[in-house]
Amino acid sequence: MYFEGRLDTAASAQTEVEMKPLYDCTGHDIILDCTQLEYISSSGLRLFLGLLKMAKPKGSHVYIRGINEDLRQVFAMTGFINLFEFK
Amino acid sequence: MQYQRHITLPNDVQTVTELGLFVDEVCESVGFDMSTTLKINLAIEEAVVNVMNYAYPTGTKGSVDIDAQVNNGGLDIVISDSGTPFDPTQKGEVDTTLSAEERSVGGLGIHLIRQIMDTINYKRVNNKNVLTLHKKLTKNL
Repeated sequence: MYFEGRLDTAASAQTEVEMKPLYDCTGHDIILDCTQLEYISSSGLRLFLGLLKMAKPKGSHVYIRGINEDLRQVFAMTGFINLFEFK
Repeated sequence: MQYQRHITLPNDVQTVTELGLFVDEVCESVGFDMSTTLKINLAIEEAVVNVMNYAYPTGTKGSVDIDAQVNNGGLDIVISDSGTPFDPTQKGEVDTTLSAEERSVGGLGIHLIRQIMDTINYKRVNNKNVLTLHKKLTKNL
């Protein structure tokens, strides 16, 4: 799934709806492509964490691809850098 | 004339995009680089969204005032509202070493604010919550 632009609180409600199909991930791994993602706030991080909590028990990996340096720092600040696998 | 800007938003998280534009403009005027601007944007969004979600009873229309000014060699952002007393600084520290299963989805907002801003100050004044966030201006390389 591809993310782009700002994943702020305003965008996260709609994004949550769009991410729902990913929850049916048994037998699949998930790649969250963040190459075009410029900004993420806690609402967005919460969506990523929610997905991971669903995916792990199903044996699915969640990979994050292409985060830029600024976003990498946000992931580091919140400890999320240790929760996900990065491509 | 000291640099000062102000915006008032309703307690609707959809207006966070407008807040982002305001913060971008303030940070650019004050001289923060893009990377710092992004982080300040994040801290302020978290603080303002907390007010929008928690200060007013569900279904009540309310507003939040955001004032920006240069002060003490840095930027002060003052976020105030007339909602119920709510001190976000009282929230406990988040344990970022927990695994995905153990992490709770809450508490990230205030954690990010603490990581990003240099000082956070809350006071209750004239029936308003007043939260002041300060970020020092350091010379960019």
